[in-house]
Amino acid sequence: MGSIELLILFLVGTGLISYLLTKWNTFLGSVFTIFSVMFVFVSLAAYGFNLNLDETVNYLPGISFTQTYLGFYFAIIIVFVYLMVSFFHPYYLNEYKYKDSYNLLFLLSLAGILGAFFTDSFLNLFFFFELIIWTTMFLIPQGKSREAAVSYFGFSVAGSVAMLLGIFIIFQNNGNSFDIATGLAALSGTNAIFVFVLFLIAAFAKLGSFPLHIWLPIAHGNAPHPFSPVLSGALVKLGAFIAVLALIRIVPATGMFTAMDLPIGQYVVALLGSASIIFGTLMAIKEDDAKKLLAYSSMSHGGYIIVAFSVMNGLAFAGGFYHILAHALASAGAFMAIAAVARVTGTTKMKELGGMIHKMPITYLAYLIAIISMAGIPPMGGFISKWLIFQAVINKGMVFVGIAVFFGSVGSFLYVFRPLAALFLGQEFTEYKGVKEAPIMMLIPTFIIMGLNVYTGVFPAGILQYINNIIGELGYTGITVSTYAINGSNGILNPALISLVFAIGVAIAFVIFILLKKSRKVDLMDTYTAANFVHDEHLLHYSVDFYAPLERLYEKQSNWMTKFYTALAEKVKELGRLAKYLFMSKNMATTVFWIIAILLFVLGGEIL
Amino acid sequence: MTIVNFLIGVGIALFGFVLQTSIGGINRKIVGRMQKRHGPRWYQEFIDIFKLLSKRAVSHGWIFDFGVIMALGGIIGTAMFMPLTNQILAFSNNGVNYDNFFIFVYLLAVGMLGMAMSASGSGNPWASIGVMRALTTMLAYEVPFLIVVLTIINLTNQSSLTGIMEYQQMAGNNWFIIAMPLGGIVGFISLMGMLGKKPFETYIAPAEIASGPMVEYGGKQLGMLFILHEISVFIEVSLFVHLFLGGATNIFEFLIKYFAVYTFANLISNVNGRFKIDQVVTFFYKWPLLMAVTQAVIVIYFGWVI
Repeated sequence: MGSIELLILFLVGTGLISYLLTKWNTFLGSVFTIFSVMFVFVSLAAYGFNLNLDETVNYLPGISFTQTYLGFYFAIIIVFVYLMVSFFHPYYLNEYKYKDSYNLLFLLSLAGILGAFFTDSFLNLFFFFELIIWTTMFLIPQGKSREAAVSYFGFSVAGSVAMLLGIFIIFQNNGNSFDIATGLAALSGTNAIFVFVLFLIAAFAKLGSFPLHIWLPIAHGNAPHPFSPVLSGALVKLGAFIAVLALIRIVPATGMFTAMDLPIGQYVVALLGSASIIFGTLMAIKEDDAKKLLAYSSMSHGGYIIVAFSVMNGLAFAGGFYHILAHALASAGAFMAIAAVARVTGTTKMKELGGMIHKMPITYLAYLIAIISMAGIPPMGGFISKWLIFQAVINKGMVFVGIAVFFGSVGSFLYVFRPLAALFLGQEFTEYKGVKEAPIMMLIPTFIIMGLNVYTGVFPAGILQYINNIIGELGYTGITVSTYAINGSNGILNPALISLVFAIGVAIAFVIFILLKKSRKVDLMDTYTAANFVHDEHLLHYSVDFYAPLERLYEKQSNWMTKFYTALAEKVKELGRLAKYLFMSKNMATTVFWIIAILLFVLGGEIL
Repeated sequence: MTIVNFLIGVGIALFGFVLQTSIGGINRKIVGRMQKRHGPRWYQEFIDIFKLLSKRAVSHGWIFDFGVIMALGGIIGTAMFMPLTNQILAFSNNGVNYDNFFIFVYLLAVGMLGMAMSASGSGNPWASIGVMRALTTMLAYEVPFLIVVLTIINLTNQSSLTGIMEYQQMAGNNWFIIAMPLGGIVGFISLMGMLGKKPFETYIAPAEIASGPMVEYGGKQLGMLFILHEISVFIEVSLFVHLFLGGATNIFEFLIKYFAVYTFANLISNVNGRFKIDQVVTFFYKWPLLMAVTQAVIVIYFGWVI
């Protein structure tokens, strides 16, 4: 089935069926959800790569579709993440209060995603965006907290309103038409600047970038365990999509920085992206909850995507698009591993966990591979995208953005290692002696994502060639890719060779290891303790405030943004109190006064 | 790429190990003489390593062993990419050299990650504290260093190490330590951090945290970590030689420059105390970062290169 409209209707229909099925039997309803998403994924993959999907619309009024490489690239990544996560549903839904609606909302939000990426009209785009926000808003509070949903909704709505205003400007500017392609092309002058800023506000809000990032850790950290991977791996990428529309398709005619050959607007956005990288990294280093830590890392990676799209050349765009894929895979992998741990232990707080590797070795491996990619270390996908972004930043000579980009890259070693050390390694806690590895159905997506993380790092050529189509579509020249090697602007990289050499190195080390005398196995508690008798494994587990000396250096500064938003909320409340005091008085005279004043204001034109 | 390339690569890694272990031994003697001792024989380090490899050790589970293998593998892999001179380079094909600078920074990180994993897997809190300090130190020295390298790559338009070497050797161009004096100083300070020499020795700190990451190791695991350490020192010092000292056209030039850089770093190290870990961070983010940015602005935006 290659029709976009039918796929959307199919998702709505299966959503309703899965609602009824889940009501009757959770497992059955969840399995039905898996197959529905799988069907959509297979249909997209079968027809979409060469843009052979059917665009005709027969049933949905006022909606029209078109296909672009850009939209398809985003859609296939997000549907893939949805598919992988849906395998987790059978094991989690029973805990939730409104479990029957979970699968329904999940499938409806996927329908929204398909619509948003394949539509050709701004109004439809806005409609589908709202569909996604409204459905996911009811998914988030099924986790730990309702506040998380409020925060998510608040920032999303702020972004949506900004986008709507931008859409109105485009509508008026483009001869009352909502068409995306002509609307963006027709922009010029101050209108272009307004739309640029408004769309970027929407992009930053969705992507959770500085300074609109407050919702990200709250929502990611408190969302249901199987929904966090979707939020981080898939939904924040909507922000990247709007960022592409704003940064690449609209170039407002502001001044240029000749030293870097960049428009000022783009450079300012790159600096904001840098702030996002640094802020996200520092907060992630400080965080004690594994899921919130990964949420801050998403913020930092969102910064990389922003930086990549604001450096105006094909190489950087390739890096940005590849980073979207690499980060979606890495963060989905990491969040799913944490979810698997949380299922058996009931917590994601790092200080309450330890030594899970002995019980869940495969989950550990999945997390390890995901974080290697996240930290941008070969042979995983994150290295390729970061390499491309580094090249672009270096070639433009962006020194200050460079500081942020390198800081985030090295800083990511620090924060990704924390859950590894505190949660999986270290002493084995007695309270978790009985836990078991995740069931086979949860391991299927784990293995697939592990494989893809490695594949994107070893053979990026095919994917980069596909990304070249997108870059061509946006009017820039792509990058040169051969079978194994990637040509950057100042050097060549052969990821397959790097992986092979790494494998050879490991093989040599393994031979050395195996040839030498066999070691004697000892218990984890049998360690050097300076001759003290330590009887409790909790005392030998170093996990609380892991980077304490580093954290102390920026402790005072770390809650600036929270304070700012608290103060802002307080100011809004004060404004509300003022309005209440002025307009909603119990005094009759005041009310009459305002009625007359407003009437005068409204009729002012007529009287004069 | 043929099998010969890979054999050359393994040869370079082996050469690096032998070279650094010998020079390390000689340096122990030099330091001994400085302190009015005789010092050990120059091949003492070889004896230490082979003795360790032959001993029976304890293991704290599979991750403890797997981490060591991954660490040593990553370092050997990184060393295989390292060019010794313009010509001696394992992976090059019709004039295209596959020795991109970022391989050295990030493939090295695989090795470090393996070691950190293994150390944390031992279940000893000292090891975790050591790992924490090592990663924090890394966050400190990498950023100024990478800003200087950003300047170099922007200037030469090359990220291949051989390319950067050849750029410096061209007539009319100076070595980068002369062409960009501020950057050169930052590079050397960062090198001290990478090597874990005093005053940046905080993550080993034997008297303070019982050798940090190494606390639980013995026997073959410790021996393999010693090999790892020697090869990673080889990679780091060679990087400095190639980036700032104009690389080498023949192997003797390389040996002389290598020996000079390592010995100089070692001498400085021996007259210094140790920073606390937060002092390491504040130090690197104050002067070296400022110098690196100044140098970058001077070179990239003003184009002033000696």
